[in-house]
Amino acid sequence: MSAILTRDELAQALGRTGQGDRAAFRRVYEATSAKLLGVTLRILADRQLAEDVLQDTYLTVWRKAESFDPSRASPITWLVTIARNRAIDRLRSGAAMRNATPIDDAFTVADEGPTPAQSAEAGDDVRRLNDCLGQLDDRTGGAIRTAFLEGVTYDALAARENVPLGTMKSWIRRGLMRLRTCLDT
Amino acid sequence: MTEPTDIPPIDDDQALAGELALRVLSPAEEAAARAREAAEPAFAAHVEAWNEQLAGLAEEIAPVEPSAWVWPRVEAGLAPPVAANDNSVVFWRRWAIGSTGLLAASLAAVVMLMAQPGPEPVTPAAPAAPTAVTRVATLTLESGAAAMTLAYDPATGELYLAPTDAMAGDVRVPHLWLVMPEGGVQLVGAIDGSAISRHSLGQTLSGPAGQANAVAVSMEAPGHTPAPNKPDGPVVAQGELQRL
Repeated sequence: MSAILTRDELAQALGRTGQGDRAAFRRVYEATSAKLLGVTLRILADRQLAEDVLQDTYLTVWRKAESFDPSRASPITWLVTIARNRAIDRLRSGAAMRNATPIDDAFTVADEGPTPAQSAEAGDDVRRLNDCLGQLDDRTGGAIRTAFLEGVTYDALAARENVPLGTMKSWIRRGLMRLRTCLDT
Repeated sequence: MTEPTDIPPIDDDQALAGELALRVLSPAEEAAARAREAAEPAFAAHVEAWNEQLAGLAEEIAPVEPSAWVWPRVEAGLAPPVAANDNSVVFWRRWAIGSTGLLAASLAAVVMLMAQPGPEPVTPAAPAAPTAVTRVATLTLESGAAAMTLAYDPATGELYLAPTDAMAGDVRVPHLWLVMPEGGVQLVGAIDGSAISRHSLGQTLSGPAGQANAVAVSMEAPGHTPAPNKPDGPVVAQGELQRL
């Protein structure tokens, strides 16, 4: 089911999807649906919900593919962003609350960085992001990672780390500014 | 200030854009930031850059093969390719070109209709939820051109439709469908594609209409009524239902 497409092939398939090409859309689905289900499942922690959101995600992709601009976004990050936002919307709509990952489990899971093998496969952008995240202190880097992977708000992050809300906000805002500086140089 | 000098100063817009992309803000803060994103291109560009860069964090997530039922359901939700029929391609192109600017007029018509009393007393109103909010949708063709404006009042079951003028030329009969959040569609019925109309939905339909997250129009052969859960003709227009 998962065909491997290069970035250019995927960008091209997404461009054709924007023109209503269903075969191209199918190729996009086959090449990326397992990745995107990984993303929605990590946030929703419930397979049924995660697959519902996956279905929603691709309907959104079909409608929005026309607006995809390969000069401004990489196809996979564009897709990941849509899937992640859809999953977070569903999480916060309350439908997923009863199945949410127990608070205590999630932080440790999210704290793992990529394995060396994964880093080696990753593109330059990803390597750079991980380098820059690695320059942050552990708790800040961990909090940013968790926020991304689990889709949780400041409130939940503060509760998990048992620090005041203002402290968590300050960690993340400073962390984001350091990341910005590091990524821009 | 006693901060170490290697900490960059906080650029509030940059930080807020990052917080929005990361989705850590509270619902109220997020709504405010989304409004700025919609109104300010420079801020929106910051958010887009953060999205692009943070998405690299997904690299560490292991892929999970979806169940076999997902793709068929995705496919079922797509509008059929217009190119299936050459005549319809020409027709819809003409419609797309001709309909520019008509949306504003039809919205105005919908507002007028809603302000007027109905032509006859509305028969037993559907049980009104205290939080009933009018739903509106702009149905568009695959080209993005506006095809019809719809408003639905869940408190009374009243449905208002204001098509653009282009469906008037088609011999097929437009049918309106509700797209349900759990997937699947529900037939509302044949509609007038050439003039503004108002309808009162019965109890069978008012429930689904209150839950639907989108609406769609299919074109059916004259005299043919499709099954209530599946259009037989091509789906030519659709739009998300928004709460007014």
